[in-house]
Amino acid sequence: MNAPSSPSPAAGLPPVLSVRGLEKTFGGLKATSNVSFDVADGAVTALIGPNGAGKTTVFNLITNLFKPDAGEVIFLGENLKGLPPTRIAGRGLIRTFQSARVFPAMTVLENALAGRHRLVRHNGLPQMLWTRAARAEERALRERAEAMLDLVGLAGDAGRHALDLPMGAQKLLEVVRALMAQPRLLCLDEPAAGLNDTETEELAALLRAVRESGIPVLVVEHNMSLVMNVADHVVVLEAGKVIAEGPPARIQANPRVIEAYLGREADAAA
Amino acid sequence: MIEFLQICVGGLVVGSIYALIALGFSLIYRVTGAVSLAQGGFSVLGALIGYTLSQTYGWPLFLAIPVAVLATVAIGAGLGAISFVPALERLSNANVLMLTVGLLTAIEGLCLVVWGSQPYALPPFSGESPARIGPLLVPTQAFWVVAAAAAVIAGLWVLITRTRLGRALRACAENPTAASLMGIGVKRMTLLSFGLATLIAAIAGVVVAPTTTLQFDTGRLLTISGFIAVVIGGITSFPGAVAGGLLLGLTTQLATAYVSTLFSNAIALLILLFVLVWRPNGLIQAKVAGRADVREGGRVHGHVARLQPNVAWIAVTVALAVALAVPLLVTSNGIMSGITIAMILFITLIGLDVLMGYTGQVSLGQAGFMAIGGYTSGYLTIVHDVAPVLSILAGMALSLGCALVLSMVTLRLRGLYLALATLAFGLLVDSFAVGFVDITGGPSGMVGIPSFSVGGYEFASPRAMYYLVLGINVVLLASFFGAMNSGFGRALRAIRTDQTAAAALGINIVRYKLVAFAISALLASLSGSLYAFFFNFLSPDMVGTNRSLELVSMLVIGGEGTLVGPLFGSLLITLLPTVFQPFALYKTLLSGGLLVVCFLYLPQGLYGALAERLARLSLGRPARAGGAELIRSTPR
Repeated sequence: MNAPSSPSPAAGLPPVLSVRGLEKTFGGLKATSNVSFDVADGAVTALIGPNGAGKTTVFNLITNLFKPDAGEVIFLGENLKGLPPTRIAGRGLIRTFQSARVFPAMTVLENALAGRHRLVRHNGLPQMLWTRAARAEERALRERAEAMLDLVGLAGDAGRHALDLPMGAQKLLEVVRALMAQPRLLCLDEPAAGLNDTETEELAALLRAVRESGIPVLVVEHNMSLVMNVADHVVVLEAGKVIAEGPPARIQANPRVIEAYLGREADAAA
Repeated sequence: MIEFLQICVGGLVVGSIYALIALGFSLIYRVTGAVSLAQGGFSVLGALIGYTLSQTYGWPLFLAIPVAVLATVAIGAGLGAISFVPALERLSNANVLMLTVGLLTAIEGLCLVVWGSQPYALPPFSGESPARIGPLLVPTQAFWVVAAAAAVIAGLWVLITRTRLGRALRACAENPTAASLMGIGVKRMTLLSFGLATLIAAIAGVVVAPTTTLQFDTGRLLTISGFIAVVIGGITSFPGAVAGGLLLGLTTQLATAYVSTLFSNAIALLILLFVLVWRPNGLIQAKVAGRADVREGGRVHGHVARLQPNVAWIAVTVALAVALAVPLLVTSNGIMSGITIAMILFITLIGLDVLMGYTGQVSLGQAGFMAIGGYTSGYLTIVHDVAPVLSILAGMALSLGCALVLSMVTLRLRGLYLALATLAFGLLVDSFAVGFVDITGGPSGMVGIPSFSVGGYEFASPRAMYYLVLGINVVLLASFFGAMNSGFGRALRAIRTDQTAAAALGINIVRYKLVAFAISALLASLSGSLYAFFFNFLSPDMVGTNRSLELVSMLVIGGEGTLVGPLFGSLLITLLPTVFQPFALYKTLLSGGLLVVCFLYLPQGLYGALAERLARLSLGRPARAGGAELIRSTPR
């Protein structure tokens, strides 16, 4: 049941993230059992599976929002066991949430700026004293944030209240906010949920740009066309277990995956 | 032994009253998920109406008492319908709590206007002579109190568990959305629970009135005791509320008798802080799951328009010019003093805004830090002849220490528990200020505090003090503007609105909350010291819970999360009674009413509304393009 030792589609690099034997039980319900997979550097890895397969649970276990019953998560060679979410983010593992969680009291631009928090050097006192370095840093940050918003077509909305944006734009903003943190690994929890076709296309373009920039991505996603479009490697989860993994083309042809998604009868009918 | 039993009977009576108030809290909390601090206010209102009907108009008690209770319920339901019920839809639970602080203040203000500030006592319902039970002497009113409590508890139990209406109330308590889908009018149920709670409070008020004296502001003592009782017992459970009330009543009475009158409050508050640390959900927990966060989403916070740089610089220049010219234009010494006081309080408000407006941490005990600063400065300058500047620093160090100790409790708490813990802290400081007579001068205050002086120059006149405080304010505003409009402020606001998302971006929540709390304590302490130097005098009620609540009003009326906004609130509430003498009587009513109105209709405050107008004068600007380069590249 263990994952193959090195699925890495990008040549021979050590994995950014290794998930080993994650177990979590809620009440008597086994949410994940012995989940293991690797996320290769510089590639987009997708975690897919039917509703209730435990995808988001795996996500929350990786970022320690839940404490795993067993198993471990190795990020850039370091065991994340017991690290609080803040520290995990500090190490460069940045995640987004299934329901867009933009900061409601802030403008679009401020949301993007807030993403940079972990890398701001002149925080607090230097900002109170208006030091030259702090002001220069803030100015550079603003330019970068504006350019990033421009990339996803949100530059015109920079001064708007973030909650006034449509859902799709909020989700894009959340991805931009995560990218502002310069992640060593970007984890996206169903970024396309609630997006219309145009917005999904924009998201796919953004994800391709992210991959091009060399930032590895782990994405939980329902939208199969998006997954097949951008993923290099796919991990399929069903009922808390990894049932298949491999490149998108092979996964698409895998009978167990088809069965998990469509059910046997449906398959026969089709 | 007899003495002990006698004290226990007294404790039981007081405890029954606390239990009744606590039941009202629990009822509203269970149905709406919010807390209404107006309970004690309705008790006093009911008792005072009863007094007027029976003593002034000469109605017999058996008629006056029920009519007073019904009148109070009518007033309470009316107030609830126009404030509490609409607020539940628009405000976060923490802000609903603050709104009810305004409601409580407004009711007190109303009582002050109608009945004045003298104490009142109703005659006992069945004669003055106490009943004799064995060796014990029990005032007959005690039976009325205990019987009323028992009747209310039984009645409530029947209503909740045995009737259709009770089932509807419970449905609203457990899942308001589902309840409304089942055709239950959640709004009506909310109003009903508020009215029922008012009824309970009014009954408590009229039965307790003969055993003690009541005046316009006794309500907040009842509210605070009931609140403490309900948290000790467990707010989600009716038996918990009753047990908490009785326990609190017995403890305070025994402590008063055997330890010290002055420290009985302190003992109750220490119990509370221990409960908050060890069993934050209370001693008795209901079987139903809590519902604290059911309605939290989406209503967290509005936003405040920000000025474009060019407009902002013009506004700053104009404001500074006006501020410098004020002492030249104002001729009246009274008004000049009022302005100076408002400016001194503004120092506390800047800190409170960082804590509440930016970080979203409720504090109902900010005046406690003012007291620590003020008394430390006063004591050191009078007794040890320490230089005023050093005494201020000593006060700030002590406040910082207290803030760090207190934060061991508060960092784990949110919402109403945080409000209660900070309230308890303020009361604790207050009871020490009253109790340590040798150091603080006790209730009559500390006299002979010198004026502030540096290097031989004495800031004795209001004008000199004004310029000193103006200088401090300008420096503070400039530095906090720097911090709040860059990374530091963004981190605080991120924590205010979404802690999980903030943590996922690497924002250290504990550290930022601690820093915000420390900043607010330091500034309050500084302001308290200056306040004492300005008056050459300090008494516990100048820096008591009234002050804490007034500070919150000032903050909200002026505009939270704006830094400068609170100055408007501070000037308004401080100056109105000075400028227009008749307002002195109406001040409490006005500040309470304004707080409620601002929460409902002007959530961004006076300054926020002004800023929005100004912001429309300026336009946004466009940006440039990039690509994968941009995502990859690290600046510098």
